[in-house]
Amino acid sequence: MNKRILIIDDEPDIREATQVCLELAKGWEVLTAGSSAEGIEKAAAEQPDVVLLDVMMPDMDGLATFQQMQANPSTRNIPVILLTAKAQPADRRHYLQLEVAAVITKPYDPLTLADQIAEILD
Amino acid sequence: MPFEHPSPSSSSSFLQGQQDSFALLLHRMTHRIRQSLELSEILATTVVEVRAFLNTDRVKIYCFQADGSGEVIAESIREQRLPALLGHNFPAEDIPETARELFQKVRLRSIVDVARQQIGVSPMVGDGTQVNHDLEFRPVDPCHIEYLTAMGVQSSLVVPILDGEHLWGLLVSHHSVPRPVDEQELQVVQLVADQVSIAIAQSNLLQQTRQRAVQEATINRVTALLHTPEMQFQAALEQAVSALQGCGGRLSLKLHADQPQIFTLGAQPALPETWQSDPLLSSLPLEHHPHWQTWLDLEESANDCVWAVTDLYRAVMPSDLVLALLEAEIRGILIVRLQYRQETLGYLSIFRQEIDVERIWAGRIDANDPRQQRPRQSFETWRELKKGQANPWTQADLELAQALSHPIAVAIHQRTLYQQVCTLNSNLEQDIQRRKQAERKISALNAKLEQRVLARTNELQQANQELRWQIAERERVIAERQQAEALLDRLSHQNELILNSAGEGIYGLDLQGKITFANPAAARILGYEVEELIGQWMYGLLKHSKSDGSPYLLAENPICLTLQTGVMQHRSDDRFCHRDGSTFPVEYVSSPIHEQNKIVGAVVLFKDITLRQQVEQMKDEFVSIVSHELRTPLTSIRSTLGLLSSGWLNSYPEKSQRMLEIAFSNTNRLVRLINDVLDIERIKFGKVTMEKRLCNAADLMLQSVDTMRAMAEKAEVTLNVTPLSANLWADPDRIIQTFTNLLSNAIKFSPPHSAVHLSAEFLSDSASSSPESSVPLTYIRFCVQDQGIGIPADKLDTIFDRFQQIDSSTSRSQGGTGLGLTICRGIVQQHDGQVWVTSQIGQGSCFYVTLPLADHEQTHLDH
Repeated sequence: MNKRILIIDDEPDIREATQVCLELAKGWEVLTAGSSAEGIEKAAAEQPDVVLLDVMMPDMDGLATFQQMQANPSTRNIPVILLTAKAQPADRRHYLQLEVAAVITKPYDPLTLADQIAEILD
Repeated sequence: MPFEHPSPSSSSSFLQGQQDSFALLLHRMTHRIRQSLELSEILATTVVEVRAFLNTDRVKIYCFQADGSGEVIAESIREQRLPALLGHNFPAEDIPETARELFQKVRLRSIVDVARQQIGVSPMVGDGTQVNHDLEFRPVDPCHIEYLTAMGVQSSLVVPILDGEHLWGLLVSHHSVPRPVDEQELQVVQLVADQVSIAIAQSNLLQQTRQRAVQEATINRVTALLHTPEMQFQAALEQAVSALQGCGGRLSLKLHADQPQIFTLGAQPALPETWQSDPLLSSLPLEHHPHWQTWLDLEESANDCVWAVTDLYRAVMPSDLVLALLEAEIRGILIVRLQYRQETLGYLSIFRQEIDVERIWAGRIDANDPRQQRPRQSFETWRELKKGQANPWTQADLELAQALSHPIAVAIHQRTLYQQVCTLNSNLEQDIQRRKQAERKISALNAKLEQRVLARTNELQQANQELRWQIAERERVIAERQQAEALLDRLSHQNELILNSAGEGIYGLDLQGKITFANPAAARILGYEVEELIGQWMYGLLKHSKSDGSPYLLAENPICLTLQTGVMQHRSDDRFCHRDGSTFPVEYVSSPIHEQNKIVGAVVLFKDITLRQQVEQMKDEFVSIVSHELRTPLTSIRSTLGLLSSGWLNSYPEKSQRMLEIAFSNTNRLVRLINDVLDIERIKFGKVTMEKRLCNAADLMLQSVDTMRAMAEKAEVTLNVTPLSANLWADPDRIIQTFTNLLSNAIKFSPPHSAVHLSAEFLSDSASSSPESSVPLTYIRFCVQDQGIGIPADKLDTIFDRFQQIDSSTSRSQGGTGLGLTICRGIVQQHDGQVWVTSQIGQGSCFYVTLPLADHEQTHLDH
């Protein structure tokens, strides 16, 4: 069964590049959402296997989005990988305290990202 | 040649001759009297001349004694006619008192004619009622006749001789045969008696003068003797005794109170036995005995200085003293007090022995012979010798004695002074000797003392040097201490200033945790007054908790640990409690205070880091944003380039192209972002130089609009401009950058078919002034107005801050970096202008930029 990855990021270039990378490198089905609200909705609707969630978004940041997904039983068990441009160690320690699958700091190598997602999916 | 009486048988020529003889007699007698100054010669001459004149048998001068008796002191007799009576004394009874009074008071002259038993009297002066110079004859007293007859006298003439008013004597003429005496003779004899009176007066004066001369000579001798250096008191005494016809004398000098000096001459009385009984008084000389003094005080004396006792048998004086004097055969005594300036300096005593007095009497009066009751019948000469008679002191003696007392007293005084001077000299010499001895001793002592002083001086000099060194050292120490104290004061003052000025709170604790000091900042930060903190227990007053708000246990309290362990504690995330109960984050250091290797307290320096945390938070956020803004395009670039480099897209040329476009686009975004960030920092720190020059505002507006026109057309937004010509002193590129930024934002957030308008207007300093007013126009205000979505009111103040985009997605999609407005504000501020925005949601926004006009700028520069 083909894996489905949901990318929630307000940056369209990042969404597009990441989507191309995951589709070509792993052959996964990649869904994208440009905002938190869209992402929560798609996660609930599409039940992706992994959600790549950008932390900084204008309407609702990634942490709040993650909490909403955690609050929703339908999305509670979906692994979430936080993508963050905040590279401060404190931020990273704070994110790791959350029950997220991984925290990946931007900019990331798309192939490495694909491998990390694959490890989570395994 | 005596006057011879002429014969009575002569006639008128006789009378004429008699008168001439009278005149001659008077002239000669007067001449004789004046020729001699000796009374005896005068009297002798007188009796001779008068007898020659009267031609009688006897002329004598009878002189009265003090007791009324008398003595014939001059006589001229005719030989064989009447016996000589010269030198014979007659008792006072022969010339009774009444007769003497008549002689004296009325100067009665008497002529007795025994044969006729008549007496003629002729008073010279009246008795106060009547004066009759004529001779009055009357019967004479038979007794008188018998007396004269017994003397062999038949005729007598008696004329009194007065010495002044004193009956001195009688001029008597006796004739053995009856002889009448006429008045003329009487007058002549009276004139002679008057001349005798004058002679007596002269003689008295002469005698007084001689006596005075003798006294003066005596005084001078005595004075001369006493004026010698030896002060010959003994010789002076001899002179005094001799002058006063004494048999002896004493001179008692009270030179010293305790040792009177006595000089004696001749017979001396012994101290009475009764006076010798007192052993204390027995050694005293007579003059210093109290009984002597008492007797003198009681005895009457002449002017309190001279006591004269003529006859000790009759003296009222101590009997034992009288006996002592009489035993020395002293009959009379003259005592003179020697005093000088009211001070008794001694006594001069002159003794006189009793004398024998011999008198020749004419006839003897035998009281037992009843015939003596009758006139004497015999004038037979007999000699009377009286032995053991007192020799009376005369007034002259008293005066001489008193006169002598003065030089003697002066001499005694001088002797006393001399002795005092001698004593003083002696004392002085002794003093001098003693002083010389003392000086010698002092010299010896001085020599020793000098040696000791020298040694001591050396010691003192050394000590002084040491002391000076110590003083210098002490002064140096004091100076250093003063400097240190001054430094300490300055440091203390500085510390106080530092403590008071320090922004950080500082307070001190003692070992028990009580606050010992606190600076104003500490009090202010904690919400107290300094005085409220002092003495308070820190743990009770200043609540202290960890960063999460949980309170410290006392044992865990870092400040308490400092007090207990002496280890400095530093915390940067704890919280202190304000007085109002709120807490605030603090960073503090608690350091132990050591004193003599003991912990005596701690000092806590703390700082309210609320603002710092906010700044750090803002910084963190800014870093996060920058990181995010940088990493976001980098993520796109790396992702696309990673795909391209992996070769997976080799089969997908379209995708590869797309990835390249994304990479390129994000690379440009990254470049813009970096440029903007750098611009902001450079503008912020003034490192961007505005290349200002004179430019026209209209040109800048039109160029900006032209630059943005393509973007506007793409967005289907109408771009309008209403240029306003005005000179600006500005960097045109930066002003155009500002305008294009504002226009770009306006276009970005404007819906299609809306309009963006760039306009400008002049402004004066007064915001209310219109362009038509006379107020000078100093500013131009540009306005970029859009009809976009508008800006929320709460964003109006922050929209010019960095990365404060309202919609970052939209902005980024439009190539915005979130730094445009920040850059605009920096550029405008560098041109002394302002930028702000007004907006209404749904209706659009107006961004205003004011810039000063060039004229004003030029004027400003000129000034």
